[in-house]
Amino acid sequence: MTSRRGAITWPENKKGNGVIAYIFRRLWQMIPTLAGVVLLIFFLFNWVGGDPALVLAGKITNPEQIANIRRQLGVDEPYWYQLWVFVKQIVTFDFGRSWATNEEVSHIFLTRLGPTLTIMLPVLVLETVIGVVLAIGVAYVNGTVTDRMIMMICTVAMSISFLVYIIVAQYLFGFRLGWFPVQGWSESYWRNVTTFAPLPIMLAVFVGLAPVLRLYRSFFLDEINHDYVRTARSKGLAEKIVMLKHVLRNALIPILTNIGIALPGIFIGSFLMETFFSIPGIGREILVAVNRSDFPVIKAATVYLAMITMFINLLVDVMYKVVDPRVTLK
Amino acid sequence: MSNMEQPLLQVRNLGVNFRLEGGTLFEAVKNISFEVPKNSTVALVGESGSGKSVSAMAVMRLLPRESAIVSAASEILFEGSDLLKLSDEGIRAVRGKDVSVIFQEPMSSLNPVFTVGDQIAEILCLHMGLSRAQAWRRAEELMHEVGIPDPGLRIKSFPHELSGGQQQRVMIAIAIACNPKLLIADEPTTALDVTIQKQILDLLASLQARHKMSVLFITHDLAVVGEIADHVVVMQNGEIKEKASAKQIFETPRDPYTKALLSCRPNVDERPMRLPVIADFLQAGGAARLKLEQRRRGYRDDDEIVLEVKNLSKHFRLKEGLFKSRDVAAVKDASFKLARGKTLGLVGESGSGKTTVGLTLMRLHESSGGEVLFDGVDLLKLSEADFMKYKRRIQIVFQNPYASLNPRFTVGQILMEPLTIHRLAAGNRQCIEMAMALLERVGLPEESFHKYPHEFSGGQRQRIAIARCLTMKPDVLICDESVSALDVSVQAQVLNLLQDLQDEYRMSYIFISHDLAVVKYISDQVMVMSDGDVIEVANSDDIYLNPQQEYTRQLLGSIPRGWQGN
Amino acid sequence: MSAVLTQPHPSRQRHSPGLWTLAWRRLKRDRVGMLCLVVVAFFLSLMVASYLGIVAGNWSNEVGISYANPLFLAGEENLEAAHMGSSASAAHIPVADLSAVDPLAPRYREWEERTARIQVTETPRAETLLLGGDKWGRDVLQKTIKGAETSIFVGLTAALLATIIGTGLGGLSGYMGGRIGDVLEWFYNVFTSIPYILLILSFAAVLRQGLDTIIFILACTGWTGIYRLVRSEYIKHASREYVKAAQAIGATHTRRMFVHILPNVSHVSLVQLSQHVVQFIKAEVILSFLGLGVPVDSVSWGTMLAEAQTELVIGKWWQLAAAGVSMAILVTAFSMLTDSLRDALDPKMK
Repeated sequence: MTSRRGAITWPENKKGNGVIAYIFRRLWQMIPTLAGVVLLIFFLFNWVGGDPALVLAGKITNPEQIANIRRQLGVDEPYWYQLWVFVKQIVTFDFGRSWATNEEVSHIFLTRLGPTLTIMLPVLVLETVIGVVLAIGVAYVNGTVTDRMIMMICTVAMSISFLVYIIVAQYLFGFRLGWFPVQGWSESYWRNVTTFAPLPIMLAVFVGLAPVLRLYRSFFLDEINHDYVRTARSKGLAEKIVMLKHVLRNALIPILTNIGIALPGIFIGSFLMETFFSIPGIGREILVAVNRSDFPVIKAATVYLAMITMFINLLVDVMYKVVDPRVTLK
Repeated sequence: MSNMEQPLLQVRNLGVNFRLEGGTLFEAVKNISFEVPKNSTVALVGESGSGKSVSAMAVMRLLPRESAIVSAASEILFEGSDLLKLSDEGIRAVRGKDVSVIFQEPMSSLNPVFTVGDQIAEILCLHMGLSRAQAWRRAEELMHEVGIPDPGLRIKSFPHELSGGQQQRVMIAIAIACNPKLLIADEPTTALDVTIQKQILDLLASLQARHKMSVLFITHDLAVVGEIADHVVVMQNGEIKEKASAKQIFETPRDPYTKALLSCRPNVDERPMRLPVIADFLQAGGAARLKLEQRRRGYRDDDEIVLEVKNLSKHFRLKEGLFKSRDVAAVKDASFKLARGKTLGLVGESGSGKTTVGLTLMRLHESSGGEVLFDGVDLLKLSEADFMKYKRRIQIVFQNPYASLNPRFTVGQILMEPLTIHRLAAGNRQCIEMAMALLERVGLPEESFHKYPHEFSGGQRQRIAIARCLTMKPDVLICDESVSALDVSVQAQVLNLLQDLQDEYRMSYIFISHDLAVVKYISDQVMVMSDGDVIEVANSDDIYLNPQQEYTRQLLGSIPRGWQGN
Repeated sequence: MSAVLTQPHPSRQRHSPGLWTLAWRRLKRDRVGMLCLVVVAFFLSLMVASYLGIVAGNWSNEVGISYANPLFLAGEENLEAAHMGSSASAAHIPVADLSAVDPLAPRYREWEERTARIQVTETPRAETLLLGGDKWGRDVLQKTIKGAETSIFVGLTAALLATIIGTGLGGLSGYMGGRIGDVLEWFYNVFTSIPYILLILSFAAVLRQGLDTIIFILACTGWTGIYRLVRSEYIKHASREYVKAAQAIGATHTRRMFVHILPNVSHVSLVQLSQHVVQFIKAEVILSFLGLGVPVDSVSWGTMLAEAQTELVIGKWWQLAAAGVSMAILVTAFSMLTDSLRDALDPKMK
């Protein structure tokens, strides 16, 4: 335990002149990771994936036609050339066309992004806000019967498959009670938000609340055991203030980390709901592509989302400095 | 106690139990009573497990709700009214305003995400009804009063940006902000360097005099008590052994435990052959002090040199910014000699590099330069394979007894591991026999062989660590702050053991510590380090009587002298 | 030193309880935990029995009428079965003479007579089954048991593999650091940059469908969490003094990694294993539901739920209930067992 107890540490550079350097360093470090992702995807789809010509050709057994398809897809070229093409595609954001619908892949993503975000952004916001409020409450009554009961309910709720929830919800609220349409989507944003989106959103929040509650509760409980909480009490502060001012502010740090981890998931996390509710989002598109072995779509999705994930991680790490003054960006 | 007016704080029949896992009850405080008069300092002294901190926390009702049970017969009278009977609101009005606390670890006791100014202002707004602007102005004044330089600048700092001493000053500022009548200080200087400790103690004394408040000072260090306390309460295992004025306790102690506590800590002025322990006092009857034979120490010219270190250096490389990296010199240029059968003491404050020297000698760190000559061979230049032969002959006992033994090994396994690795035993049977013999040598019962480390106390674990080293019969033993984490009475026992072993096996020790009194007691020669530099090397008696360097003088001057008879 | 509770007297027994014995004792005291252990053991034995064919061996036999009612709804109407039955009897409606258009028409009568003569032992279809029947009259109870076998088998095997991979790589990375650590971290970053579901779907897109494929996919994508935890544990322990002490007395790297540190980390791996079993069971169900999981000729709770989706509209809810409830019971029991395990191995103030 050799800490520099006697030494004086002057305050570090307060303003963000280290931040720009940090961002550049991180961008530089992203390159090998991105290269790794590209290699992995290439390996999976161009190597392991087998000969897509056979898949697409279907019942055509004419070898000439199969060779023709191969040429069109570019899979008759040597591997290093295919990799080169792939890298070019990534850099120019042009992945060609879907093997199934012949729609331009970039067009597919741009149009499907809207519906996915219309559902997932409200879900993320609602989950976090409601989760934090409930978690503080539960942490406050830690150790009582209420606490244990709520945790029990959460555990049971989490053990029921998401599928069951969707099936039952669709049946109950859509079919039986008719409060919401069972499926569907429209062109109008307003109509979506008022008619088609509420049921999926409420369902997702309801199901997602249990794990979030458990997690955030553990964050709060961890903080409550720290020494500074004892100091706050020794000042004579009311328990409410201790929780809402001191504990919450510190717990925001792991909560922010958690949101950062969850954020990249919003693009694809809704794939089940989109399938059930016939919402034309990215998740459903990818699922359909998997079933149809539509490689360009899947490859593009994976690479794009990997990049988005890395940028979000960088963003969260920079935000960290705002939330936690102890952090020095290295 | 001379004044007959009502004492500020009266603790009567206080009993505290803790609920442990499995439903058992642990009695931490067993029915104690003591008083804190107005405008005086009362020291609550004891070793770990004595119940002193628990008693102090009970006064403010800061014990953990779920596990602590205060007995119904307990009474804590503050200015006549029973604090235990107050409502939640009532006790909150007292906390921070009439009674305030400072804790041992200032870094973790301050909220890391708020500025120190915020944290001081908070209590001012709460109890004194000041506006935010007024509170900040007052906070700056308080920071100046507690001796923080540049308060206007520092008020906007976060706790981690301040040093340990400054953090503790901030805690003190928070504590005195509302002019409390009683300040409870729970081991406030234990985690600080000796020079900083002196500053904080002086600060507390001056604040006490200026604000005319009482201080309840909790500590395990009797030397500190001697410097600041008017009255002393000695606790052991949840009971009060003795309580009296400071003069009485130091000059005419009555309880054997108190006497042992006073004597077993090495004094800078004496050096008995063995440190007295409680058992000695129980046998001695009523004597306040034991007459002990003194030991002479020092290097002689005809001593055989077993280890010679020349120009040892160790740099650490810290990454900084995008392309830069900084070199931190932990050890700059250390040279010393170790004589056979003698002890070299390495003393310094935290960050001085003393531990790094020890670790680098053993090649647990890779050195950046220099030579370590052992038996004519430079250990630093050997290959890994060649060094294995020498590993047995230089061993180390670490500081933290709770971390240096593998929690998943039995004591037997811990002791047999080195025998197995170096193939020192001819078969399993002999292995076990050797291990058992060593257990006995260090004073542990035979059953310990099958037990796990968590079943032993800190002192016992250090004995196991020492036994582990002894399995290899080393020539040199490095003790890296090996007794610093132990209670005073246990420390005395382990020091006695080390001395016995040195006398018997003629081992040479390198004793690393920040505790000047202990180092003087056990060392023949002392090397003082600061910031990686070697300040001074001399025979221990010479260095204490006649320090040559300014830093050494400053260091020696900071040692709490204890009771001086005022 | 603030109040440290003094150590209890060393006990008089000869052999002291180690970590596992102590943990087992703590677990035994936890009544809820023991109950969950029993439930999980029950499911596991069910899985083994099903695998050996002792139960649910004939799950694919169509023993009941279509949408057979479960026992507790015995008297209810079964319109669908009646409808199906009537379509079967529709075959006996005399066929109009189509000899003008259908060249084979004269031969129909001949064939019918011939088939009527062939003896086919047709077991009478049951009116009701214990938990009801699905569209083809297969016994829901047997399907549930068989589905349990599939899901648990996949969950357990995949979790075991993922734990082995994660622990091995994590230990290596955490202990060795340096170049090896950097390479493994790069590997980890690559895998975690791609959202988990997408990674699974990508693998599923290129590999052919099958039980071993799912296990492979889940293990290859799910090791990252365990890796992270074990790595941080190894980093923490590698700088602890007992490991430095081991180095000082001359233990080699391998010895330190496996003999000294691993026993201190294994409980983390165990809890992770348990957690991942739950995670993988849930994942398998969803994958099978989407048709990317088990092959078409096997049954899983996922395939049952897929069928249940359309069944619910016509009011047949028992397959949904059977699959949903049994899965809920197993996952709840396993989750709570994981919590109890963690508390038993690493007790902290809750």
